Amino acid sequence: MNASNPLAHAPDVTIPLRFMIVGIVSLMTSVVLLVAHPDVLSSYHYNQRVIAITHLFVLGFALSVVTGAMYQLVPVALETRLHSERLARWHFPIHLISVVGMVWMFWIWDMKQVGHFGSGLAVGVGFFVWNLVRTLRQVRGWTVVSFGIASTLFWLVAVILAGLAVAAGKSTYELVGRPDLAPWLVAPLAGLKATADFLSRFEPLAIMHAHAHLGVLGVFLLLIIGIGYKLVPMFLISEIQNPRRAWASLWVVNLGLAASATTILLQHRLKPVAALIVITGLALYGLELAAIVRARRRRALDWGLRGFLLSQVLLAPLALIGLWLARPGMVLDESVGRFENAYGFLALFGVIAFAILGMLYKILPFLVWFVAYGHQVGRAKTPALNDMYSTPVQVAGLGLWVLGLAVGLTSIALAHTPLSRIAALVLTASLLLFFLNAARILSHLVRPRTQPLPTPNQPILSSL
Amino acid sequence: MTPVPIPGGGVESTPSTPSASPSAFEHSLWEALRQVIDPELGVNIVDLGLVYSVTSDAGVVSVVMTVTTPGCPMEHSLTFGVETSVLATPGVRGVQVQVVHEPPWNPSMMSDEARTLTGIR
Repeated sequence: MNASNPLAHAPDVTIPLRFMIVGIVSLMTSVVLLVAHPDVLSSYHYNQRVIAITHLFVLGFALSVVTGAMYQLVPVALETRLHSERLARWHFPIHLISVVGMVWMFWIWDMKQVGHFGSGLAVGVGFFVWNLVRTLRQVRGWTVVSFGIASTLFWLVAVILAGLAVAAGKSTYELVGRPDLAPWLVAPLAGLKATADFLSRFEPLAIMHAHAHLGVLGVFLLLIIGIGYKLVPMFLISEIQNPRRAWASLWVVNLGLAASATTILLQHRLKPVAALIVITGLALYGLELAAIVRARRRRALDWGLRGFLLSQVLLAPLALIGLWLARPGMVLDESVGRFENAYGFLALFGVIAFAILGMLYKILPFLVWFVAYGHQVGRAKTPALNDMYSTPVQVAGLGLWVLGLAVGLTSIALAHTPLSRIAALVLTASLLLFFLNAARILSHLVRPRTQPLPTPNQPILSSL
Repeated sequence: MTPVPIPGGGVESTPSTPSASPSAFEHSLWEALRQVIDPELGVNIVDLGLVYSVTSDAGVVSVVMTVTTPGCPMEHSLTFGVETSVLATPGVRGVQVQVVHEPPWNPSMMSDEARTLTGIR
């Protein structure tokens, strides 16, 4: 009898790895661009660089990592199989080409081409959502985790459609009505022009803010909450302490997001009420997360989890800034612009990137270990996951990230461009250390470190 | 066949093999299982208390085990390791591994040494 294939029930690990490598490279490119253009942080004007770097961060980094992680973790977390690996394989090149094209076109501000590449991104996201929805349908009954994932997928579709609508609204339609227009283009162009005409009723900044909240809150934060309810108890040997509170946190954030996106778009005076609903949901999440951590059976917190938990603590100041910015009748002046910059910087680099970097120290070693050593268990002594990277380098990297956040927020508050450059350099240094560890982890793919199994009279309690 | 309690968190073993004495065979099976190490916790699955029972019938070994949490990403690697290590044991002609979630695993199933090493209480 032969042993079964340990990888048979999981998707090909190279699929999530490809997305994650693109994500890590995009994050590094984002901070290097901040070093070159620190005024993106220190000034409050929306310009093409701000938009390009933001989309490189959000689509190139966060969405790539999240997509890769979801292809791997959703089937695992829900104890099922990914519906289609083939679709996931096709998704990758479409995603890569679309993101690179979009960011480039934002940089040179060619909104028509942004729309074209954005349509490619939408096709890829369509593959992804279809794949995940079919995967979710294999699961019996709803759990708080599957509800969090389903919410994320819903808002992902919403934010992509909103983004395409924004691109349509910022394009020109000189071809409409021309007699030489190809017949097949008449209806799509008329639809795009109608979308643009509809969006012209709204304040452009309000549209962008609503779009941003759909993405950051709806896609990334809801996913962090939903997957966090699976991963944090799993890593800490704990469990959800109050399922009703966990469910409520997701429902309330979903409700608050719907209300926030609507009131932001309409510049309605009920914006603070919507913000308070979101904050209530986040508070419920915070209470549940704290209870899970307190009830843990594994006392020691590794640094990856510490980074993740610290990123979640940063939700508190983020929520306060968000509430302040939600005041009705707010006019964008220099002071408000600084708060908006701080809000965006804290959300993207403080909460999302920090949470992802923390969790990558759990997910990346696992993915690589799975490929390099999945077939070696029981045949040879394999390294433990935390032996695959340097903990001092990890601690230094996470510490520098916190320092970079603090310097970055200070530079925004002072509108101090040289200080913004220093913040970007510190974040770059942090990422270089992360790269160092990521390279160490990935090196196990080309040079696995197995040792002979101990003989029976040798101690084998630990692999250390 | 008489169930034999196994130290270190195992539940029972009922050996029956023509090629070795029952106690030596049992011992070799449990030693083989100790070669399978959970890479997240750095401890072998026997000391983690993940192995619920080991039985054998004419050299065909059945292992009933669990994982620390349903949906554990290491499940398939661990069951592969169990199959590989048990099959490498002299006298084994076949192996079946069943993963169960009842009773659910909890840290009280770990050996004292494993609890000390991992800091899990």
